[in-house]
Amino acid sequence: MKRIMNLAMILMVFCVISAGGLAYVYLFTQPQIDKNAKLSLENSLREVLPGSADFEEVKCGEAQAYKSDKGYAVLVTPRGYGGPVKMLVGVDKEGKVVRVKVLDQKETPGLGARVIQPEFLNQFSGKSESDKLEPKQDIDAITGATITSRAACQGVKQALKCRRKIR
Amino acid sequence: MSLWKDLNAGIVKENPVLRLMIGLCPTLAVSNNAINALGMSVAVAFVLICSNWVIAAIRKWTPDEIRIPIFIIVISTFVTISDYIMQAYYPDLYAALGVFVPLIVVNCIILGRAEAFAYRNPVLNSILDGVGMSLGFALALVSIGVIREIAGAGTVFGVQLFNTALAATIMILPPGAFITIGVLMAFLNKMENRVL
Repeated sequence: MKRIMNLAMILMVFCVISAGGLAYVYLFTQPQIDKNAKLSLENSLREVLPGSADFEEVKCGEAQAYKSDKGYAVLVTPRGYGGPVKMLVGVDKEGKVVRVKVLDQKETPGLGARVIQPEFLNQFSGKSESDKLEPKQDIDAITGATITSRAACQGVKQALKCRRKIR
Repeated sequence: MSLWKDLNAGIVKENPVLRLMIGLCPTLAVSNNAINALGMSVAVAFVLICSNWVIAAIRKWTPDEIRIPIFIIVISTFVTISDYIMQAYYPDLYAALGVFVPLIVVNCIILGRAEAFAYRNPVLNSILDGVGMSLGFALALVSIGVIREIAGAGTVFGVQLFNTALAATIMILPPGAFITIGVLMAFLNKMENRVL
């Protein structure tokens, strides 16, 4: 019994030291981590809506959107082949897509992961709700990644629909 | 002399990936391009060297019955530290490695070296063992990463070498990792037979 108590005490001491060390590292890295997250979101927003002055968070349904003087940037997460494809769609005041950026994806490397390439994403620029937005029709699909291509189209459609609801 | 031996062992003779065949899981996962492989190697090196050092330093106060939980506490502490530091100061690298960083905790190279080496040897030897093993891991991982990236995407460290259309996509998918590791192991075995 005494031995067990002893072991538990030793283990506890190690845990306390470790927790203390981690708390210290957390405290001095956390501000920088938050700053990075904010900065990277802002950079992405500026990329999909170039020339915007300031962004203001707005909600449209369950999706998150950001409003600026140039239009809206809508965050959508359509379901891809390997999980959600997190993408930011910039839509101007006339309801046309400005640019699309993929923030996070887990698609197959070499196939679906090519969804991040501008060759694919630039096809969406200038499209609006009156367009079909279907792979193999008005959008060239990524070779070998039909599901991912469809997800990207779905995401842009969602964003356009979402923007209409905000107005 | 023995110090040199401890450092040297991990690089080729007891290379963790290609000889001891441990730590294969992260090897398969992050070796699809050279940059990821290098980033993972650096993170593993940090954790392995620090944990070997601490475990060797506290080995006299570590009761035998609870050594494994203590190793895991030490290892996961260093993993979390490297996770925070990477997130704060190297966000691009973190974006590429993000999901694999917490998995360093269960990388059996680190626990394996703690149990097999650091727990039984002085601090300096253990640090050198960590350095050697990290170099061996880095060497294996980066070679695999470079081979897979060239064959599977036509690039190396992100620089285009030839048209992507000529690349064999299978090489950057999971089977490519198995094929590359197998070929490298065979090559290493052949070399050793010739030298000895």
